[in-house]
Amino acid sequence: MGRGRLGRCKEGFVVRPRVLVIVPAHNEEETIATVLSNLRREVPDYDVVVIDDGSTDKTAGQVQQFPDVALIQMPFNVGIGAAMQTGFLYAVRHGYDIVVQCDADGQHPVEAIPRLVQCVLDGKADLIIGSRYVADTCYKPTLGRRIGKSILSRLVDAMIGGGITDTTSGFRAANKNVFSLFAHRYPDDYPEAESLVLLHKNGLRAAEIPVNMLPRQGGRTSIKVSHGIYYMVKVALAIFIDMFRRYTGMSRKGT
Amino acid sequence: MIYPEQLGFQSIHRIGLLFFGLGLAVMVLELVRRDLLREKYALLWLITAGVGLFVGVFPQIIIILSSLFRFQYLTVIVVGALVFLFGLVLSFTIVLSRLAERSRRLTQEIALLKHELARLAKSDDS
Repeated sequence: MGRGRLGRCKEGFVVRPRVLVIVPAHNEEETIATVLSNLRREVPDYDVVVIDDGSTDKTAGQVQQFPDVALIQMPFNVGIGAAMQTGFLYAVRHGYDIVVQCDADGQHPVEAIPRLVQCVLDGKADLIIGSRYVADTCYKPTLGRRIGKSILSRLVDAMIGGGITDTTSGFRAANKNVFSLFAHRYPDDYPEAESLVLLHKNGLRAAEIPVNMLPRQGGRTSIKVSHGIYYMVKVALAIFIDMFRRYTGMSRKGT
Repeated sequence: MIYPEQLGFQSIHRIGLLFFGLGLAVMVLELVRRDLLREKYALLWLITAGVGLFVGVFPQIIIILSSLFRFQYLTVIVVGALVFLFGLVLSFTIVLSRLAERSRRLTQEIALLKHELARLAKSDDS
């Protein structure tokens, strides 16, 4: 811990950075308890907050079995972007140093979280992505998804100057500069890809490390196949517009 | 002097426009009176009604415009209405976007406050 920029205060004493794991969940009653107990086991020092995005199943009840896990319930389904942003706002207001995003469906290997956090602490980048494609992993997405994501990834990668293969991964760790920017401005759909462009525009750096994604443990993906193309076009357009946006981040009206 | 009637602008059309303008104005004022329409948007519709009335009273304006753009007089009205509606819908989507952004913020604030409240209630109990 002590090697990191954030891990050392001025006097030279080592202070432990405050890390918050944000778990966005929408109807994940089958898997959320496993994910949370994995988090408690693997990273007991980190605080965990679940953003229940208007679930209609017993997701909230499952979370309440964990007394030290904070639960934030959206009054209705607001979408992954707005839900995550609630988590970023929470992190800003409670003075966290590092934020980790981890899905509730059990696809993300919890044991890799300390590695993500350490990379951020070491100053390797402002945002570290746990990537599916960097090395050999057992993750096998469907063909349609692969095509859509690879087009989007290439687009984003080209715009931010290369270096990222998995731009849509929702398994990430970020420092304060990043999540306070995201608390002010965060995209709605497929927010991961577009947010990388936002970071780039604001002079922050992203990098990725390989992780072994697991197959979904239950539930269904939130992205319907029929919406895939629509989302891709929408996100591509949003990213394109972001490149020409004069004001990003802090100066957005109405926030 | 060209009379509007010579170009097919009959008095029945003028009467129609006058009724349209008057009817719209009355409807808008009634909606404002019942608190169903905000004054801000009522003004827009009253101006629209005013334009209708104005054209009904002075149809020459249409004739001048149609000779200016080399359109049939009816085309002038249709194109004018389309441009107006286009602008209107665009302004609505702008308003809508702002409202969406605000409701998103409010939703997040409510969720955070509810969490804070539950936390405080729990610490009170123990």
